Amino acid sequence: MNEIIETGQFSEKVFKIVVSAPRIAKSRKPGHFIVLRTDENGERIPLTIADADVKQGTITLVVQKAGVSTTKLCNMKPGDKIADLVGPLGKATKIKKVGTILACGGGVGIAPLLPIVEGFKKVGNRVISVLAGRSKDLIILEDQIKKWSDEVVVMTDDGSYGHKGVVTVGAEEIIKREEINECIVIGPTVMMKFTALLTKKYNIPTQASLNTVMVDGTGMCGACRVSVGGKTRFTCIDGPEFDAHQVDFDELILRLGGYKEEEKRAYNAYLENQNK
Amino acid sequence: MTDLSTRFFGLTLKNPVIAGSCGMTGNINRIVEIAKAKPGAIVLKSVFEEEIDLLYQKEQSSSYAQNLDPEYLNYFDYVIKEENLGKYLDLIQEAKKLVDVPIVASVSCITSNEWISYVKRLQDAGADAIELNLFIIPSDVKRTNEENERFYFESVRKVSEIVSIPVTLKVSYYFSNLAKMMKDLSSKGIAGITLFNRFYSPDINIEKEELTSGDVFSNSDEYLLPLRWTGILSSKVDCPIAATTGIHSAETAIKMILAGAGAVQIASAMYKEGPDVIGKITNGIEEWMKRKFYNSIKEFKGKLALHTDDITAYERVQFMNYFGNK
Amino acid sequence: MEDRIERRDQEWRKELRLKTKGRERTAIQRAEMPMMDPLERVHYQDREVNIGLDLNTAGQEATRCMDCVNPECVTGCPVNIDIPSFIKNIERGEILKAAGVLRETSALPAVCGRVCPQEKQCEAHCFYLNKLKKPAVAIGYLERFAADYEREHGVAEVPEIKKNGIKVAVIGSGPSSLSFAGSMIKKGYDVTVFEALHEIGGVLKYGIPEFRLPNNIVNSELENLKKLGVKFEKDFLVGRTSSFEDLKEEGYKGFFVASGAGLPSFMHIPGENFNGIMSSNEYLTRVNLMNAAKDEFDTPVFKGKRVVVVGGGNTAMDSVRTSKRLGADKSMIVYRRSMNEMPARLEEVKHAQDEGIEFNTLTNPVEYFADEKGHVSRVRVQKMELGKADASGRRRPVPIEGSEYDIDTDMVVVAVGVSPNPLVPSVLPNLKVSKRGTIEVNEETMQSSIPELFAGGDIVRGGATVILAMGDGRRAANGMDQYLTEKYGK
Repeated sequence: MNEIIETGQFSEKVFKIVVSAPRIAKSRKPGHFIVLRTDENGERIPLTIADADVKQGTITLVVQKAGVSTTKLCNMKPGDKIADLVGPLGKATKIKKVGTILACGGGVGIAPLLPIVEGFKKVGNRVISVLAGRSKDLIILEDQIKKWSDEVVVMTDDGSYGHKGVVTVGAEEIIKREEINECIVIGPTVMMKFTALLTKKYNIPTQASLNTVMVDGTGMCGACRVSVGGKTRFTCIDGPEFDAHQVDFDELILRLGGYKEEEKRAYNAYLENQNK
Repeated sequence: MTDLSTRFFGLTLKNPVIAGSCGMTGNINRIVEIAKAKPGAIVLKSVFEEEIDLLYQKEQSSSYAQNLDPEYLNYFDYVIKEENLGKYLDLIQEAKKLVDVPIVASVSCITSNEWISYVKRLQDAGADAIELNLFIIPSDVKRTNEENERFYFESVRKVSEIVSIPVTLKVSYYFSNLAKMMKDLSSKGIAGITLFNRFYSPDINIEKEELTSGDVFSNSDEYLLPLRWTGILSSKVDCPIAATTGIHSAETAIKMILAGAGAVQIASAMYKEGPDVIGKITNGIEEWMKRKFYNSIKEFKGKLALHTDDITAYERVQFMNYFGNK
Repeated sequence: MEDRIERRDQEWRKELRLKTKGRERTAIQRAEMPMMDPLERVHYQDREVNIGLDLNTAGQEATRCMDCVNPECVTGCPVNIDIPSFIKNIERGEILKAAGVLRETSALPAVCGRVCPQEKQCEAHCFYLNKLKKPAVAIGYLERFAADYEREHGVAEVPEIKKNGIKVAVIGSGPSSLSFAGSMIKKGYDVTVFEALHEIGGVLKYGIPEFRLPNNIVNSELENLKKLGVKFEKDFLVGRTSSFEDLKEEGYKGFFVASGAGLPSFMHIPGENFNGIMSSNEYLTRVNLMNAAKDEFDTPVFKGKRVVVVGGGNTAMDSVRTSKRLGADKSMIVYRRSMNEMPARLEEVKHAQDEGIEFNTLTNPVEYFADEKGHVSRVRVQKMELGKADASGRRRPVPIEGSEYDIDTDMVVVAVGVSPNPLVPSVLPNLKVSKRGTIEVNEETMQSSIPELFAGGDIVRGGATVILAMGDGRRAANGMDQYLTEKYGK
């Protein structure tokens, strides 16, 4: 259990890790996440599940190297064991036939978007996906997303691939062109905030899958709390998907920066140690 | 075309007949029903600060509480509060989703403390405006006028600080100088004043010699009190006035508008006749306007209000066969 | 009950009673708990404050016990430990036998001896207190002494158990679950405990700090259970990792749910979501479970210099004392009632005071303010006065209008309670749950609306003490045993 079966690399900082977790592979649904701890001294970090193979008993995680824990994880090799892995956590995406779905994914957010796009397509929706990233190498899983989409639009900030511009530019063109019944957005918080503002303008129901600070991931600590429509909700048990028009993204952005200094210090110490 | 539109709650309402805050407006199915009668706005049932405390007391005295970790109930009033507020936020959201009429959230408070801070969340849930239902029954002989009055000003100040949607007040008539108080409050940036709260009133059963509850619903002759004060205040305060209590027919509603009310709030009549009464009153106003060749509300609103500082009928206390005009 | 009377009539007990005169017994002063010096202990998160009685003092204290004909103390104990019997065993020097008596009804005596509010339970019923108006026999100290002595000296005997092979699953690994598991394994069942976190022990591990309950105490109790054959599966969330149906297919016949009251409450006042404001659960979990205060561990934790802890319970005391140990210059309790109404144990309050914790009572937060980075910088509090007594008999706090003032702070811990964890009930639509989210059970058997599912502890009560939760586990074990015996035979 928890053995790394396969690793891969999408770009300089984005890695793919396939882990043996037969029970989770069997019970996970689109939208679910897991919490893992790389080693006995590690911290518990939440990661959304990008894919699962029930037969092989594996789940696929897509991880961006950002701090100590993600770096430790990305540096692990096939055969290594993750100390702790628990899941699936959170509420699954409500997948049903609604008509046309606009799926917006940004950066590593494209990974958890994949099973959701697949789910919506399989129940008979028309799916249009907009994938966005700063540059070409940050657009991941394009072929897999294509498999389950009627149309894929790629946006890059620097224009190195697809269209030049941010996600909302591509999304708005589609909204103006045809009727969209529901939108789902996963990516950096700022990107989700502006996508929500856009779809609110056009009155399109929108779900955003939030990424917050978590400790246990089972409702115990409340570190993942977020304001939604005037209520405090816990991302780990009430989410991770919420009505994007009701989420207080500005508060969320502040909260995500909460441990930044502690994390930076820890990361520097870690890198120093590695170089010794 | 007869234009029934009017301003209240800082909004342009399609007509001046508002479904007032009552038990019916606390239930989403009833709200949908009421909306079919096309009111100018719907004021949801109030969330009561007092009610939370009662529920907390009940929880503490329940038998199972004796066996608990004392820590469990230490702050349980906050849990109850959150439960009730949560339900209220859901109600606002559902109403906004299902109904195409302005939805006004109503908050009842007896202290200007943290309770006030919850209005921000009512705004976040999507309320179009907020009606602050403020009341102190001035029964405390140790409390000074200033203390009582400060509560109103403090509440208005705090609420205006934290929300951007319009805020109106619903008040009682228990002030030593009602006119000055309303004038001063109206200048603090509020979008309207509703006259008046209708309290639960005690009554006495002389056979059993015990206290009972007075009639829960207003009678159709109770409108005279708000009529007088609407007439006195409407031209003097810096915000629109809405009248409530005893408005059971189009005639009474028209009287209120003539006295200067921008809108009327209906509650007891909805209980007695069902939500359709709202449509009935609106149609009645419209018919009367046609008969009188009025094209819009503002053409007759305040026609019979007190417009000068002279003594007029509204200020008389003795019955005289006189009804003043400007 | 009969056991207790018979035991009291054993020859050695009779002799022991005659050996020392009543007047001599009552003349002995109640033992004082030796403890670490406050100035020293505030530097160590993981050193226990109470050191424990030595053999001599314990013997002395045990001699105080009058071995009453009708020992009222037993009625004050939620699991009805035969208190005089274990104490008299200490008096005659048979400490391991004393521990044996404790184990008959309590799976975790070393834990209970430390965290039970004895002053409100057994000791509150003591003959000394009620009849002589003298300090009660220190039952808690003696319980702890016997359990510790056993751990340090005894070879825990593994009793011969006849296995029946029936598989039962325990959900959660806190005190209620451990008590249940201990009882069921002795009845011959094949017991597996499933824990969602990466450590076994529930609140004993993530909640109660080591200065009050060292991890090695808990671990040694876990070892005892393992020796008896209890299996533990960590990182397993029943209902999610595998469904109840999956587990049934794997052969599990009975389920005991004691998933606890894991959901922290907040006050929902403005600014409460600023950084640096967290639940006591988060703070204590980071420090206790994740070892965040130690450099070699990756999990971060704020090390506030001016810490405000909101609440008056044991969790609040644990949090505020932890903050002091993590280097705060000023650690303060903000509580809306007075010292008298605090639900925390008197002993914990006293320890906190000795450690220099400030107590700001009759004060309640109403709003938080933050610096430009969104980190809390001030808390606005309001003074309270005590009004009429409420239904619980405590005078209720009433805000004083216009009494607000600000306290500078860089970290706030909100310790205002928890509510039941909804994870398990949410995956069982047929399970009867109260509107508060607690599982409804038959109070005697702890059986829920799903016949094979039993429940106990905080998920049933909303909030229970460790010992009450353990009592539930024991009752549930009897209830489930009866149910499974009827269903599957012996």
